Amino acid sequence: MLTFDSTKSKPTTKPLPLSRLEKSERHLGLLMILPAFLLLFAVVLFPIGRLLVTSTQRLSLTEPWLGTPFVGLDNYREALTDARFWETTLNTVIYIAVTVPGAIVVGLGLALLANQPFKIKWPVRLGLLLPWALPLVFAGLIFRWFFEFNQGIVNNILMWVGLPKLAWLTDPFLATVAICIAIIWKTSSFVALILLAGLQTIPKSLYEAAEIDGASKWQQFIEITLPMLRPAIIVAAIFRTITAIQTFDIPYAMTNGGPGNSTETLAMYIHKTTIDFLDLGYGSALAVLMFVVSLVMTAGYLRYTRRDPRQEA
Amino acid sequence: MMRLPRPRVMVLIAGLVVVVNGFVPAIWIVLTSLKTEAELLRLPITILPDTLTFQNYTRVFTDQPILTFMWNSVAVATLSTLLCVTVSALAAYALVRLRLPAPGLILSVLMAIAMFPLISLMVPLFQVMRTVGLLNTWWALVLPYAVLSMPVCTMVLISFFQDIPKDLESAAMIDGCSRLGALWHVVIPLTAPGVFTAGILAFVNAWDEFLLALTLSSRVSSRTLPVGITLYQGEFSFPWPIISAALVVAIVPISIIIALFQERVVGGLTQGGMKG
Amino acid sequence: MTRLITGTALAAIMTMSAGSAFAQTELRIFTGGQQRPDVMRQILDAYQEQNPDVTVEIEVGGATSEQQQQYLNTVLASQDSTLDVVLIDVIRPAQWAAAGWAEPLDEYLGDERDAIMDRYLPAYREANVVDGAVMALPYFADSQFLYYRTDLLEKHGVEPPKTWDELKAAALKIQEAEGNPNLAGFLTAGAPIEGTVCTYLVPYWGAGGELGGEGGAITLSAEQAARPFELWGDFKEAGVLPANIAEIPTDRIRQDFQAGNAIFAMNWGYVWNRVQNDEDSQVKGNVGVVTLPGFTADTPATCIGGWQLAVSAFSENKEAAVELVKYLSSPEVSKQQAILASHMPVFPEVYTDAEVLEANPWFEDALPVVETARSRPVSPAYPRVSEVIRTNMNAFLAGTQDGAASLQAIEQGLSEVMQ
Repeated sequence: MLTFDSTKSKPTTKPLPLSRLEKSERHLGLLMILPAFLLLFAVVLFPIGRLLVTSTQRLSLTEPWLGTPFVGLDNYREALTDARFWETTLNTVIYIAVTVPGAIVVGLGLALLANQPFKIKWPVRLGLLLPWALPLVFAGLIFRWFFEFNQGIVNNILMWVGLPKLAWLTDPFLATVAICIAIIWKTSSFVALILLAGLQTIPKSLYEAAEIDGASKWQQFIEITLPMLRPAIIVAAIFRTITAIQTFDIPYAMTNGGPGNSTETLAMYIHKTTIDFLDLGYGSALAVLMFVVSLVMTAGYLRYTRRDPRQEA
Repeated sequence: MMRLPRPRVMVLIAGLVVVVNGFVPAIWIVLTSLKTEAELLRLPITILPDTLTFQNYTRVFTDQPILTFMWNSVAVATLSTLLCVTVSALAAYALVRLRLPAPGLILSVLMAIAMFPLISLMVPLFQVMRTVGLLNTWWALVLPYAVLSMPVCTMVLISFFQDIPKDLESAAMIDGCSRLGALWHVVIPLTAPGVFTAGILAFVNAWDEFLLALTLSSRVSSRTLPVGITLYQGEFSFPWPIISAALVVAIVPISIIIALFQERVVGGLTQGGMKG
Repeated sequence: MTRLITGTALAAIMTMSAGSAFAQTELRIFTGGQQRPDVMRQILDAYQEQNPDVTVEIEVGGATSEQQQQYLNTVLASQDSTLDVVLIDVIRPAQWAAAGWAEPLDEYLGDERDAIMDRYLPAYREANVVDGAVMALPYFADSQFLYYRTDLLEKHGVEPPKTWDELKAAALKIQEAEGNPNLAGFLTAGAPIEGTVCTYLVPYWGAGGELGGEGGAITLSAEQAARPFELWGDFKEAGVLPANIAEIPTDRIRQDFQAGNAIFAMNWGYVWNRVQNDEDSQVKGNVGVVTLPGFTADTPATCIGGWQLAVSAFSENKEAAVELVKYLSSPEVSKQQAILASHMPVFPEVYTDAEVLEANPWFEDALPVVETARSRPVSPAYPRVSEVIRTNMNAFLAGTQDGAASLQAIEQGLSEVMQ
């Protein structure tokens, strides 16, 4: 699923002048792509245009008497000097840096475990997929209860083994840890799903050959499994990163950004600015800046997809 | 390494780890949903409910119209899945089979746009939906959700379409089918597992989503489950046992769907590529 | 016979046309799930009987004040006309006035305006008038009280405290004697939520602080601004406030108190009914409620809460909506709410009504509290004001920010609010 190899079906020779059939095929092709672009226009491109416009205005619904004066790049300038913008961006980057690799490592572990020859498969599969199907915000609520100071299961386990209770949700560091654990638990499931599919396509003969050569399990893992899984891991990493940029639900449910603003993400700050404070101008500028961040990330992804067909050929 | 015979015990332990990891929170909320609030707040905490109570489940259905939420969730997820798969399949087929200029570039642009963080578009999306009068209707969510899953669906479908021998379509077309006819009558049936996989990925994505739903569709009559259940809590109440019961009610259907189709979800992804 | 039939038919036609001349007015009222929509329905059914040409539909929104406002923000920002009357939190009228969402009621009230407004408790008269214009009418009142365990206080020979020092001493004495590490001395809201604003304001006002500023800007009096941090810092260090105070939202206080895990708690009026009537309450019959303490016995302070009825500026039935609001804000309805839902009345005389007192004996003591309760800052940018205060109070209670830094952050935040 990861080789978006659109060139594979095309003749590899240089294009010749198109025949009539080919021309009509091209028209049909464009027609078939049209719905996708129409949808993207309505849901993404047009709103991006609006976003760019409002980001250059002073537009606050709590102060309607101000009108919507054009303020140029003022909102952006304000954002760049807004300590909270940088803090929430940093928090978002921390969540990306911790939970993307974290989910991949845990997901890989789960996929390897789930790939064992079970007699009855469905409980394992269900166990693997359940976190994926549990909405993020519910995962957030459940983990908040797990990490609760007095009634939470985590602190109660700590007490049973004789350790002191920890302030999971009210210490900035521990709250970040708790949120990362919740995110990794929830998202490693989807990663494991992709990696499990990848594992199942690795030809068994490779392992048999390695076995005959006397390679240890660890060597087999390093020499065969990991390289063969590389494309699947990259796909998982891309999807995980895209969603990690938008981290909202879990910190919203677990700490609501607290203590102070120490666990607030950029997405939460944008939501608060626009929906709570009704400061649409500034909120739009923040959103554009977030878009820039995600564009940098998707650029890496673009390069990968563009290169991939050649790799396979 | 994966297929070597091992002691059954090791295999069982492996399975147990996966099951425990996936099920513990689910089991926890099932247990919580059977407790009273007083028991939940008692210290030291209890694992199993002291006295079983089912009144939380009654409250779930009487406090909020949870069946409406569920119906909305199912409808929104189904409609957005249909839209997403249709649009993605058309585009994927055109990219794979038809002579488009620079298909690689088109695909990249399509992907880049579709991967735009919708969260940052909430306000303009809200304004657009308001202008066209879709606010607080299913469609306010169906359209963005279709975009949300477009990248993954397109990728899955492209790799499936690539595996269909061209000759099959050519034969169909000689028999008088048009291109679209060939797609509908030959390609889609042959790639059914891929279409199904793409569909279930899109369905779960839509089922999961919270923030857009909170913003674009928060009226009671059009709320989806994640929004509806979050709103069981209030300023003056955080009824954990009731929320747990609501979660159980919400998770059961999706778990059944997954349990029924788990083979196909993983199998679909496997069959369609991952061959690196 | 024929004539009779014709006559009947004619009469029927006439009734029909008369009916269409007085077409049904359909009103839609928005309320939160916490404000007892079931009781409102009963009241509205009676209203519909008296006014057969009006039908009122209730729309129930998100449960917390913030969630409701988030929803209303999106609805009203789009000038949606589907809501006619909206139940809003006492902290909202200024914001609604500024945004132009609430229809000013002065014209509709006409000559009666002053007579009507004078009947309400002073705090609600003030809260609903913004820049001289009546933006909403009060539906029911609320206020923060000190709840305490009568059994524990009696057992250890302690009187209900009148000052914070007394409270601290009483809590420490009981905590020590009981020896239960899970028994909190005092609970108040500490999570980053709206209720935590009052955790700051109550001791601030109690120390004599005033909220100043003009044109929506908020300033604090320099002398008293640090007092809340000193007080709660001291309480936390002494162990009167639990270590996890920064994760405690409003209803968690009630839950813990109801489960017997706290001696004293500062919370809203709704707690009384729950702790005395809930089946699973562990403290039934052992709860007392009094005015919150002050720094001295004669300077108590408390936050007002409560819900107001505003007519949407985008309503297409404003006349009918105002009539409905006047009815819902009447002493009769106030009394009904008090009896059916224990909602605190907005008219002083209803507190002493025999039937009301029968249902809520503690209302007699509640009146003086509500009469002296104070409004949170009045500002069109209240969501920002609230956010500044609560996040810094939360950071302080979590121990991630000291009092001086928190105070500085609040003052700076407030100065930036109205730029």
